[in-house]
Amino acid sequence: MRRYGPAVLLALLGAAILRVSLFGELYLRYVQAGLRPYLVVSGAALVLLGAAVAVVTNRADHDHDHGDGGGHAGHGHGPGGPRVAWFLTVPALALLLFPPPALGSYSAEREAARSAARGVGTFPALPPGNPVDLTLGEFGSRAVYDSGRSLDGRTVRLTGFVTRGDGTWYVTRLLVSCCAADATAARAEVRGAQAPPADTWVTVTGRWHPEGGLGSDAAWPPVVDAASVRRVPQPDNPYEKR
Amino acid sequence: MENQRTVADGIRLGLRALVYAVLGGAALLAVLTVGSVLGPLVALGLYTPPVAAWWTVFTAITVQGVPFLLLGTFVSAAIGAFVPERVFQRLLPRRTVLAVPVAGAAGVVLPGCECASVPVAGSLMRRGVAPAAALAFLLSAPAINPVVLVATSIAFPGQPEMVLGRLLASLGTAVVMGWLWARFGREEWLRPPKRRGGQAPGGGPRAFVSGLQHDFLHAGGFLVLGAAAAATFDIVVPRSLLEVFTGSAWLSVLLLALLAVVLCVCSEADAFVAASLSGFSPTARLAFMVVGPMVDLKLIALQTGTFGRAFAVRFSAATWMVAVTSSVLVGWWLL
Repeated sequence: MRRYGPAVLLALLGAAILRVSLFGELYLRYVQAGLRPYLVVSGAALVLLGAAVAVVTNRADHDHDHGDGGGHAGHGHGPGGPRVAWFLTVPALALLLFPPPALGSYSAEREAARSAARGVGTFPALPPGNPVDLTLGEFGSRAVYDSGRSLDGRTVRLTGFVTRGDGTWYVTRLLVSCCAADATAARAEVRGAQAPPADTWVTVTGRWHPEGGLGSDAAWPPVVDAASVRRVPQPDNPYEKR
Repeated sequence: MENQRTVADGIRLGLRALVYAVLGGAALLAVLTVGSVLGPLVALGLYTPPVAAWWTVFTAITVQGVPFLLLGTFVSAAIGAFVPERVFQRLLPRRTVLAVPVAGAAGVVLPGCECASVPVAGSLMRRGVAPAAALAFLLSAPAINPVVLVATSIAFPGQPEMVLGRLLASLGTAVVMGWLWARFGREEWLRPPKRRGGQAPGGGPRAFVSGLQHDFLHAGGFLVLGAAAAATFDIVVPRSLLEVFTGSAWLSVLLLALLAVVLCVCSEADAFVAASLSGFSPTARLAFMVVGPMVDLKLIALQTGTFGRAFAVRFSAATWMVAVTSSVLVGWWLL
């Protein structure tokens, strides 16, 4: 039976990958959206590979019925394949049974939240109409670096989770470019509204409150004067693409 | 008589079964009740935000690595099963001194991050490519492929010298390490996985399936170990600590070079992380991007699995020093 270990392991990992990528949106908690096709393909390939390995093992069993099954003078593993491979069951079972949650305020607060320093310059015009939906990354860039001041006089709508500072609170989103390990935080200080509990997902509607000189440290984090704060369910993609 | 005994036996057996069922059932019920009440409490108590974040980062690194690892093992198994040795002997110059830079530059063709390059380098060695040349490929492939260079140019808009610096410093490190290995490397440090369990002799589809299966599972296990180490550092090391060291130029280069080792950010994403470390000098950020794809915990774990611990330790330490030196030189010249 142990001979089928590798086949089972491959199929298990493939099923776990397919579960989060093909049969749901859970993969968005771990990696960026663009990786989905690769995840689906590799999940399916792993399941197929598991089946192929089972067939090969089965044939080999029949071939070796009269022999000793051949020597495995490899590096520390028996007929069940490499022993270290069993570590793969940990993430596979975690994904299948208890998918870990998206990163939240704990990770965001540990970040020394700073936007990438870039030159002050003009930004493309915002779409017409109020309120305008902006990502927190976009809002922060425009608030701190836009010499054209495209946010002036506009009502913006920002969606993120709540993090707390001393006496203030922020609407925060984590920015991910490849996987959750490279997450950095983007946030905006909210004024004029009671703070909901940390990690609550909210949509804040309000106006940009200019603070500090353009591109200066005092301009960070940007401030929004809230007209309304509405609780919302966690979006499918908990992160913003950087 | 016989009948009575059978009946008595039957009753006794029935009673015993009843007692067992009641006792066992009660015990099971008690365990289940206590477990279902206390279990979530204990689990919630242990499942603090840092632990949850650890699980998420751990799973994320593993999930992110699987497609690339599969691509790498796919290419490596295909090389092992279908490409005869003479192809590489014809493609690469005979002399190792020349083969190293050619193999390093060939790293451009493997689009992927570092997970993919380790198994491919292993199969190149099995196919008779000089270890020095295969190692140069191993180091350069994740650092200089087009996907990574484009990501770098997006992360550093208006700074093409950063892209050029990354290309030159990474290629330089790979080639120097290849030459160093050709001059000082010893065969016994390297444990090329020549004979692998389950690998059918010869080539063909069956060798391909068993090679792919073995390589993927083996490297996958080490990927999980590396992901666990990286997630632990990600949770334990506060990033605000970094702000302390931004003052000294030398210290900041060394610090970011160490950070690249423990954070294990995928080579396609590390440019964005480097760009967000705005308090550091450009040279320090270049060092972060040059070291990251060549030496990190995940990669050390993968190399240990493929080539053995004696190799992984020596090779990673040497690569780290060469990579830091080369980034400082290129940074001083270009940035």
